[in-house]
Amino acid sequence: MSYDATYTKELPLVPERNSFKEIDDVILKPVDSKPTKKWWIAISISGTALAIGLFCWTMTVLYGIGLWGNNNTVAWGFDIVNFVFWIGIGHAGTLISAILFLFRQKWRTAIARFAEAMTIFAVLCATMFVALHTGRPWLDGYLFPYPNQNAIWVNFLSPLNWDVFAVNTYFIISFVFWTIGLIPDFATMRDRTKSGIKKIVYSVLSLGWSNSNRNWQHYERAYLILAGISTPLVLSVHTIVSFDFAVSILPGWHTTIFPPYFVAGAIFSGFGMVLTVMIFVRKIFDMEHIITLDHIEKMNKILLATGTMVGYAYGMEMFMAWYSGYIFEQFTFLNRAFGPYWWAYWIMVACNVGFPQLFWFKKIRRSIPIMFILVLLVNVGMWFERFVIIVTSLHRDFLPSSWAMYYPTIYDFGILLGSFGLFFTLILLFVRVLPSVAISEIKAVAPGAQPSHKHEGGSH
Amino acid sequence: MELQNKKEISGKVSKIGFILLIIGAVLVGASFMANKERAFFDYLIMYMFIISIALGSLGLVALEYLVGANWSTPFRRISEFLSSIIPLLILLVIPIILGMHDLYHWTHKEAVETDAILKGKEPYLNTQFFYIRLGIYFVVWFLFFIGFIKNSTNQDKDGNVIYTKRNTTLSTIFAPVFMITLTFCAIDLMMSLEPHWYSTIYGVYYFAGTIVAGFASLTLISVLLKQNGYLDPRIGNDHFYSMGTMMFGFNIFWAYIAFSQLVLQWYADIPEETFWYMMRWEGSWKYVSIGLLFFHFVLPFLILLPRSVKTNLNRLKVMSIWLLVAHYLDLYWLIMPTYTHKAGLHGPVFGWNELGFPLVIIGLFMIIFRRRSMKNNLMPVKDPKLEAGLNFHL
Repeated sequence: MSYDATYTKELPLVPERNSFKEIDDVILKPVDSKPTKKWWIAISISGTALAIGLFCWTMTVLYGIGLWGNNNTVAWGFDIVNFVFWIGIGHAGTLISAILFLFRQKWRTAIARFAEAMTIFAVLCATMFVALHTGRPWLDGYLFPYPNQNAIWVNFLSPLNWDVFAVNTYFIISFVFWTIGLIPDFATMRDRTKSGIKKIVYSVLSLGWSNSNRNWQHYERAYLILAGISTPLVLSVHTIVSFDFAVSILPGWHTTIFPPYFVAGAIFSGFGMVLTVMIFVRKIFDMEHIITLDHIEKMNKILLATGTMVGYAYGMEMFMAWYSGYIFEQFTFLNRAFGPYWWAYWIMVACNVGFPQLFWFKKIRRSIPIMFILVLLVNVGMWFERFVIIVTSLHRDFLPSSWAMYYPTIYDFGILLGSFGLFFTLILLFVRVLPSVAISEIKAVAPGAQPSHKHEGGSH
Repeated sequence: MELQNKKEISGKVSKIGFILLIIGAVLVGASFMANKERAFFDYLIMYMFIISIALGSLGLVALEYLVGANWSTPFRRISEFLSSIIPLLILLVIPIILGMHDLYHWTHKEAVETDAILKGKEPYLNTQFFYIRLGIYFVVWFLFFIGFIKNSTNQDKDGNVIYTKRNTTLSTIFAPVFMITLTFCAIDLMMSLEPHWYSTIYGVYYFAGTIVAGFASLTLISVLLKQNGYLDPRIGNDHFYSMGTMMFGFNIFWAYIAFSQLVLQWYADIPEETFWYMMRWEGSWKYVSIGLLFFHFVLPFLILLPRSVKTNLNRLKVMSIWLLVAHYLDLYWLIMPTYTHKAGLHGPVFGWNELGFPLVIIGLFMIIFRRRSMKNNLMPVKDPKLEAGLNFHL
């Protein structure tokens, strides 16, 4: 919570006094109006990226993953790097909507909807990579424990299969959470629209919402329960992803701090991506008075905290590698920092731990241009973190005769580009068809919407 | 608004505390006479428990400033009083220094010479550096303790907001320092009991237990004070509900960390790591390990889940005592197997030798709490956030 200089009054989350009608108008403006030229330019760029990705996708399906840079030693390359990267980005949404909700952090209202949408899109991007990395994606159906004539059954002892369950559950619950939050807003849109078709669509989607006391009571309860379910879920997804690595016996992968370290990193990268996009959205759609600088400053504080946690994990890994007295462990970490991939390691450390330390300064936390550079660096750093974990741990095997370097091919880059294309295309579609800020929640934190106490504003 | 708490905490608290301390000290003395080595391990458990409460409480004080919470402001003094044992930590460590040889295998020069792994760790695990590190922890903790407490008590005089501002700044610096010192303190005092074993999550594991102990002791004392009419009548269910929720939440966090460590080491099945769990699975240690799972996590989770428990003061009191005992059991589980293994026993030891140590802890905290409450207000009476904290409603 933010206070004024005397620490007695909480600062309002939406500073200007807007009427509810004005809030509706501002948030729904992009939905109501025709797309601008800028939007068309943006979607054609992201659409092109998506098309390139689809081409590389198709080529991979047709000719096999031999097109990729993976080799015998570095058996996991861009496929898993990008999977973990996107899954991590998907963490901010549910953290904001569920965990911050349970901690009663009301500032989440302005960013929750957007972040949740990003979660869903990021998880979609991530599943694309796991679906493909199996090599024969048309057989992926066997990942599910479904009785079949071939009597093929999944191996429940494999963490890769835990992934299938963790990611699917996460996607489903996040999607349900998101759509439940949308119901009151669909009702608002239904009540505003004059077009007949829109009216029917919104009526169906709003499930007969009538803004009655009873509606709200059920809604609030459902929201709380879903928040309770989602909270362990957020932690579990990246925990399971970290298990993919940490249950092995490979130095660099097998380390007990991985679960909380991955979760902290996921939140870090998720907030980085949310901010990257949010900075544009609030500017382009004139929402600077709804998604205020205060909200952004709080997000930057979370970036600082989680970035430092990730730094703690880097330090702990290094220390324990030395302390373990285990030569392979020691070699792996020395190789990480000073081997052929030293540059990747130091990009990771600088972008994730070094630069975010600038957020100690309030001026930087509130300066849009500087923060934009910093969050871009966070995105880069977190991508490199996965690259470092996967490639540097693999490329120098126990047997020096099987040492190898990893060189991604044009197809690897193409699919990576395509995932960004998919992500931004979905975001651009989302901001046009759905309210990117939760209207009903913003109204609830607008000044005057809260029951006030007698003492408020009085002298003490 | 008059918030001064006129009601004094009765002298009985000190007297009972003193009696418990004496009985405890006698038993501890007898324990040392009977079996010196075993007593040193018991003493280490006690010492770690005191650090948990002291640092956990100071951590909660810092946390309140760090996140700008106001619901906990009326209770902040309680955590401040509990952390007042920090200056004593340096005195209380003396027996551990005397028992270094009994406790820590790596202090045996001849064993290190013949053990390549221990030889490799010598730059870190040697007595001089160990003492230097302990000294650093104590100095750092003491300085932050003094800083927080001074600002907080000075504010009682004039209510100047500058003190809140200073403590907020202090808390941001304290957060990383707290994590690092607590981690290495846990590695030095507990993990190095088995100098061959290592786990990167160990610091987080101890941190989780510390925060649970911090919240449990805060809840216990708040409930006791409330039931005896020491707290402002405006402090009600919503406050206690929040406290119970935090206790519940951080206990799940502990379980999550414990599970992560266990499942990763079990699944990878590397002998360098699994022997640590094997020691906690041999003979009747098995029952302690399973018991820890149920006593520290499963049962408290199920009991604390309903809202009604978190707003019922009596049940909340039972649960906070429960979790404190669970944390003690956790430390016992972390520390004691080294002793029983060395002594060739295939199971946990528990008898009169262990009983004196908890009494000393209870006695010490009672005396310190009473003493501090005589000198200071039971609430930060002029804290600018107090009014909002008292009027807190869900």
